[in-house]
Amino acid sequence: MKAVNWGRIVFRGLNILLIAFLLLPIVIVILFAFNSAEFIVFPPEGFSLRWFDKFFTDPDFMGAFFLSLKLALITVVIATVIGTMAAMAIVRGRIPGARFLTAVFLSPLMLPAILTGLALFQFYVIIETGRTFWGLLVGHIVVTIPYVIRTSTTVLYNFDTSIEEAAQNLGAGPLAVFWYVTLPLIRPGVIAGSIFAFIVSFDQFPVSLFLVKPGQITFPIHLFNYLKYAFDPTVAAAATVTIAMSMSMVLLLEFTVGLQEYVKL
Amino acid sequence: MSEKIQKGVTRRRFIKTTGAAAAVAAGGLGFPAIVRSGPTVLNITEWGGKWSQVLKESVFPEFEKTHNCQIETDTAFPFAPKLMASPKNKPVYDVLHSNSNDQWKVAVAGYIEEKPDPAKIPNLKNLHPFATSDKIVGVAAFTSAIGLGYRTDKTDCKFESWKDLWDEKFAGIRGTYVITNGLGACLFMMAGQVFGQGFKDTEASLKAMEALKPVKQVDFTGTMEKQLFSGEIIVGVIHDSAIWRHVEKNAPLAFAVPKEGVLALEQVWSVTKGSQKKELAYAYLDYILSPKIQKIISEAMWYNPANKNVELEQKYKDHLFTTPEQVKQLVQVDWKWYNAQESTLAMAYNKIFQNQ
Repeated sequence: MKAVNWGRIVFRGLNILLIAFLLLPIVIVILFAFNSAEFIVFPPEGFSLRWFDKFFTDPDFMGAFFLSLKLALITVVIATVIGTMAAMAIVRGRIPGARFLTAVFLSPLMLPAILTGLALFQFYVIIETGRTFWGLLVGHIVVTIPYVIRTSTTVLYNFDTSIEEAAQNLGAGPLAVFWYVTLPLIRPGVIAGSIFAFIVSFDQFPVSLFLVKPGQITFPIHLFNYLKYAFDPTVAAAATVTIAMSMSMVLLLEFTVGLQEYVKL
Repeated sequence: MSEKIQKGVTRRRFIKTTGAAAAVAAGGLGFPAIVRSGPTVLNITEWGGKWSQVLKESVFPEFEKTHNCQIETDTAFPFAPKLMASPKNKPVYDVLHSNSNDQWKVAVAGYIEEKPDPAKIPNLKNLHPFATSDKIVGVAAFTSAIGLGYRTDKTDCKFESWKDLWDEKFAGIRGTYVITNGLGACLFMMAGQVFGQGFKDTEASLKAMEALKPVKQVDFTGTMEKQLFSGEIIVGVIHDSAIWRHVEKNAPLAFAVPKEGVLALEQVWSVTKGSQKKELAYAYLDYILSPKIQKIISEAMWYNPANKNVELEQKYKDHLFTTPEQVKQLVQVDWKWYNAQESTLAMAYNKIFQNQ
């Protein structure tokens, strides 16, 4: 008779509980989104798609959603390029004060984001540019670059440089070495950092509070404003759409790039 | 020769091209100036969500057309830090709309005109006293009444006194706010009045907060509404607008006006001292205070209007404070005093509730 592996059973049980703990709030939000009740109540009182209809037909919600999406996508591209270049310089550049530079680049992670937003706001007032889309973009880039640098430097420190040396010995120039050897090998860190950058930018609230241009507010701020006067399940519908969007992006990356391999750091 | 001509043509072409590029660049730099010479932009603050929607649809268009201006609205609260981060002589807003506590903060810092000039804002003479009392800087164009919202199907209590909130039978099923929310601060001061020597009796207020435990605390009124609707609480501190806007849904909710009075949650407008468009700003304030606009906003948001001459539909008159006798029930707290003690009181308040 096969002995029961209690350790394995308990371990799996704990894992299931942990995953349930993490995922249950998401499931509850999705249930609220399909609830026919006027307010967010549990258990749900009926099934309805009207909150999704309200979300998709509300120009303010859609405007804010697409603004945040546009901002996040541009932020990812710029933060990834700058972050990766900075990581290369810090790890490979042999520049004096590399540790100090690392601390400077990562400092937005240590500061409350609301202070970053306020400081940038004051800066824009001093240079008289006012609040613009580009100013908001700079704010998002500042707070997302640290994530790209962090993950990219991790893979660079664990990198086997002999592979690059071999490529150089075989006649590859510096750019070719970077493009064909280094970048594919550090791709896990870069992609992981990019994903973080997208999430941080799309969800960004405290920095955006100070930097959004009047009349152009981001999705998190619009949700916050909406909740001041209404607490209906439209916000749950908005959250569900965001969850679906994130899951679709991850699945798309998995099918095209093979994300699973690249998020192993 | 042809080489010389070619070189000459190249140099001329270079000069032409550079000159053209310089002209385009100069024009490009100048373009914003050309764009800026359009309608005057009035920079204001407003709440977002439904409030902003009502203003965009029903309030702004007529004003913009009449005054050939464009209203740019910042709805990303908080506004006071942004105003105070901008230079006093070039403030980021021309008109600040916020609650009274924030208005006092910026007034003490010297950013806003404390008492509007009736000569510039004619509708000032038609307002209820609360709108321009000594507890207000700027002008309160609307107010809500902070009282007790409760479930009529879950309790027989009519909450005739604020003390009823402290009744033991409501332990754990009553709601209040964190102290950083104005309604939380209002309850704190009212507790001093009800259990102590007055609104500034902080010792009595703190003892009352201790006695209020266990209580559910929320960040803002939307959450309090939700808790009342879902039945998580039976009674909560809330403003009348949040209850009355559900009156047509036959929700089992009512709003109690305790005998000690209801606290005013004023919607205050002020003109910044450094505004370069003061005449337009005064015109906007006067417009907000006009009976027509007061009626639109009051009925859309269930806010009590400041203008005595507003004629609301009956269903609004049945619930809102529109007559002098009703308005007398509104209690205005001293936000200037409260703001000066805020950090000390907040620490003591949070210490009371941190372990509940």
